[in-house]
Amino acid sequence: MLTTTSAPDHDLVAGLVQPLYVLAEDGTRHPDPTLDPLLRDVDEELLTGLFLDMAVIRALDDEAVALQRQGELGLWPPLRGQEAAQIGLARALPSTDFFFTSYRENGLAWCRGVSPGEMLSVWRGTTLSGWDPFAHHMATPQVIIGAQAHHAVGYAMATKAQGKDDIAVACFGDGALSQGDLNEAMVFAASFRAPVLFFCQNNQYAISEPVALQATVPIALRPTGFGIPSLRVDGNDVLAMRAVSLFAARHIRSGKGPMFIEAVTYRLGPHTTSDDPTRYRDEEELESWRRRCPIARLERHLEQLGTDVEQLRAEAKRRSLEATTALREAVTTLPEPAPESLFENVLSTEHPGLVRQREQFRAFRNSLAPEQADGQQTEGSSA
Amino acid sequence: MSDFRLPDLGEGLTEATIVAWQVAVGDEVTLNQPLVEVETAKALVELPSPRAGRVSVLHAAEGETLAVGSPLIGFEEVGAVGADPAGESPADAGAADAEAADDSATDTTRRASSTKSAAPQRQQVLVGYGPVLPGTGRPRRRPRSFQTEPYIGRAAQAVSGSAEAAAGETPKALPPVRRRARDLGVDLTAVHGSGPGGRILRTDVEACARSTTSAGTRPGASTRSSTRVPVTGLRRETARAMTDSAFTAPQASVHTTIDVTDTLERLRHPARRGRKTSFLAAVCQAILPAAARTPSANARYDTEAGEIEHFARVALGIAVATERGLVVATVPDAEEADGLTLTERITALVATAREGALTPAELTGSTLTVTNVGVFGVEGGVPILNPGQSTILAIGALRTQPWEHRGEIALRTVVTLTLSFDHRVLDGAEASRFLMDVADVLSDPAILLTR
Amino acid sequence: MTTTPNPAVTTAQATTQTTTMTMAAALNAALRDALEADPDVLLIGEDIGTLGGVFRITDGLKDRFGADRVIDSPLAESGIIGTSVGMAYRGMRPVCEIQFDGFVYPAFDQIVAQVARLHYRTGGTVQMPLTIRIPFGGGIGAVEHHSESPEAYFAHTPGLRVVTVADPQDAYSTMRAAIECSDPVMVFEPKRRYWSKGEVDTTVTADLSSARVLRTGTDATLVAYGPLVVTALEAAVAAEDDGISLEVIDLRSLSPLDRQTVAASVRRTGRLVVTHEAPGNVSLSSEVIASAVEDCFDHLEAAPERVTGFDTPYPPAAVEDHYLPGIDRILDAVDRTLGRRNSREAA
Repeated sequence: MLTTTSAPDHDLVAGLVQPLYVLAEDGTRHPDPTLDPLLRDVDEELLTGLFLDMAVIRALDDEAVALQRQGELGLWPPLRGQEAAQIGLARALPSTDFFFTSYRENGLAWCRGVSPGEMLSVWRGTTLSGWDPFAHHMATPQVIIGAQAHHAVGYAMATKAQGKDDIAVACFGDGALSQGDLNEAMVFAASFRAPVLFFCQNNQYAISEPVALQATVPIALRPTGFGIPSLRVDGNDVLAMRAVSLFAARHIRSGKGPMFIEAVTYRLGPHTTSDDPTRYRDEEELESWRRRCPIARLERHLEQLGTDVEQLRAEAKRRSLEATTALREAVTTLPEPAPESLFENVLSTEHPGLVRQREQFRAFRNSLAPEQADGQQTEGSSA
Repeated sequence: MSDFRLPDLGEGLTEATIVAWQVAVGDEVTLNQPLVEVETAKALVELPSPRAGRVSVLHAAEGETLAVGSPLIGFEEVGAVGADPAGESPADAGAADAEAADDSATDTTRRASSTKSAAPQRQQVLVGYGPVLPGTGRPRRRPRSFQTEPYIGRAAQAVSGSAEAAAGETPKALPPVRRRARDLGVDLTAVHGSGPGGRILRTDVEACARSTTSAGTRPGASTRSSTRVPVTGLRRETARAMTDSAFTAPQASVHTTIDVTDTLERLRHPARRGRKTSFLAAVCQAILPAAARTPSANARYDTEAGEIEHFARVALGIAVATERGLVVATVPDAEEADGLTLTERITALVATAREGALTPAELTGSTLTVTNVGVFGVEGGVPILNPGQSTILAIGALRTQPWEHRGEIALRTVVTLTLSFDHRVLDGAEASRFLMDVADVLSDPAILLTR
Repeated sequence: MTTTPNPAVTTAQATTQTTTMTMAAALNAALRDALEADPDVLLIGEDIGTLGGVFRITDGLKDRFGADRVIDSPLAESGIIGTSVGMAYRGMRPVCEIQFDGFVYPAFDQIVAQVARLHYRTGGTVQMPLTIRIPFGGGIGAVEHHSESPEAYFAHTPGLRVVTVADPQDAYSTMRAAIECSDPVMVFEPKRRYWSKGEVDTTVTADLSSARVLRTGTDATLVAYGPLVVTALEAAVAAEDDGISLEVIDLRSLSPLDRQTVAASVRRTGRLVVTHEAPGNVSLSSEVIASAVEDCFDHLEAAPERVTGFDTPYPPAAVEDHYLPGIDRILDAVDRTLGRRNSREAA
């Protein structure tokens, strides 16, 4: 188990000079010896499916930003620009592989059947966790940067111990590269050959800090120091993203231990709705990445294949409207938690100290005169 | 009409400034159409319309800064079935706006009232509602579901009761003793503590309760009953000292009654902003120059040496009635203090004396004693000398009565001063001069200037 | 000296199997029995496998259960806890060892921001049945970072159970209960008592939330936990010479706190002294005394006292005996509550 590999770093990494890609900017198909074998099943239906996924996810994301601007959400972390990275991964893995993600992976959640209400409740502040992680094989968003990497490794070690072939996926951004947890997690994963995929969306910024502050070498080179093979991919090429994900999952599932994917992409929006990206990056840079839009690239490819793009766009619009309408509707139907619910589930059983606090809280609330028509809001705001 | 209110656009922001409207009144807008660009402390932000409709009002001009939660833009309902606010007239909305604009209201009431008037309709919930900054109005508690009454605190009680009690520390007593006192209805401020450092013990509380009870249920005349109390501690010491004084020093006394109306007015002058020099402190101050003019008033008769000892400085002693008995507390450095300071010192000293916490130095060492029997309501009395001193001055109650004033009868505040003296040290002439020196200053403080 | 039956432990119906053993052996037996009883239980920590742990608590377990269930981890405390979180997601019941008290800090985020909150965060969907074992406390002449008492950090954190053990029987029963518990449990093991011996009955079970009255007394209540339980009992014996009758309570559970047991005792004695090795500032003694003041204010015949480590970093071993509460400091505090002559009386 505890062997040391003597393989040179560069044998463990692909795409270091030029990130792997199969769709060029202009939509033309680019041959890649590593990825081509994994693309044999690609047909128009699959491609249009990926297109629609990306289009819908972008619409949902935009709608969530609008909802925040309209006072319906406290915060939202937009994923605009990273659709291909997320959809490519999600559509490559079986729904039983377990995702441990950060907070920007709403595209993954969407693909895993998370409902709009489940997706928004955390951001509206009605709950701390939007969905049942076991129902969707996806842990709810992790806010502490990199902390979830350990969870993915532990989960993977357990599936291996149980003799199952599920794998776990740790999703994180470039900022997490600097966290001890991610580095420790790679040590554990390598040492125990855990069936885990480290999936890094390098969107170039950790809030305002450029990726060069986290890593002075390509991120994909980092895991090789741990003995973890690594693939550097064009994160805006959905087809390549799907292919590398398939490749990595196959590698991991075959018992060869962890693998690392660096999806080179770009966050077109702010870090969150509270951010002002104009303070740290310029319009020129932004424009160059806008031109590399993953949706437009796939659309050009489909056009070249002869797909009726107009019809596809119309279908995307129809599905997007359906999804955004559902999202907006979900906001208004999210139940407000009862004040006393804040005492629930601290431990698996009640304990006298907390029971007492809840009783005192109840007595306090009962002591207030019911004079306000909308008591809850005034209470909260007068605190 | 429905208003869209300014949300918190970035985790705890409280306001935003209108940069540029992108719509005008009368415009038809669609859902998510940009309405306005605003600038927050964090970023320039474009606000998309929360609804489709016709813009009916822009609540703020460009350049204006709005608080989070303030109405930003109003919409007319355009065939919006179901979204139409039931029963809300434009007048209602106007009233809500007026309230919202009322700076005198607190944030809380402002939000509450505008929320209230919009209650039938589902308004923007403003999830990111921003922290509430302190309002311009007074913060107020929410009313309780039960009757509440104003609390009469120590300061309020002091108006009718003892100011000293409110200023000082609370009585020393452990929680179970306090509980016992509550159960027995005993006021701890009235209990003398016999424990270490004057701490009130359970037995003190119970003794106090017993004495109160026995006083309250005094037996009828038919049966004669009595309680015998062992003479111990301070009582015993006082008894010894008084006997000593009465039977060793031949004592005589002189007294005078003077008009102190003007002096009291001066002591309570409003320019002093509520800080008052007590009359007791004024008497103390008057004694100092008088003793300087009559050194034998600040002296003692040394039988053994056959000498009269004139003290170099006046160390004023104040007789204090405590639960344990009478003590004479020494006022430190009286000659260096002004009236206000002296008042505060005496107040603190009396409180300490009542706690039984005076140091031995504070309990001995005085050279001339003042006893303020007036606090018990009496006009005056003849005090017995503190052993080792040649004079003692008793102050009677300040009382209002008809008095000759500028050739006419007027209601004046007068006080009787009584000086007992050791006839071995002073004669009547010296004693009288000393007393009148004190009395003159108290009648007319300006007299000091003429001496 | 009188003793009462321990309300925190109850004897199962099975035939008793009482053996004399050290606390270290009792913990080893508890881990062995837990691994035997439940295939989902696994151990993970530094040097716990081949070496058997630096205190030999896991001695022989790797040979018996294999390297997959007794896992020598890389030297990364955050990794030990975080990996265990992931294992728990997948249904395992990891028992993590933090090698020394002072090494727990790198794992602080995983413990307080992940382990402690997942049940709450997910509305009860995700359970975190982790057991985190930490040898703690001083008194063994160790170097820096090997004698810490960090328990209050974790007792402060909602969502964690924090328990201590004081003797071999308690160690066995509490460890079994901790591993069976669905909540994350931090078990603080008093390392200087590892080699103390006692009777252990492996059929005795314990709960994770009760304090126990180890000795009844009438004049003052002395509350201790972990390594100072033995000290407190010794102090109670020594106090007899002065005619003082001390009631000794072993808190056992630091979170949740068994306020009732403490309050019931203080209502009888009217006096309270709390002792622990950790610094006093914002500590367990702060909480126990605050609770007692809230719960039995009218019964307090004296201000509660505490005897704790000083508010300094843990000192060099050469002076640790001055830092650690011993029976003389404890009894001096008892004297203060009783109004007897004591070291702080004004000269």
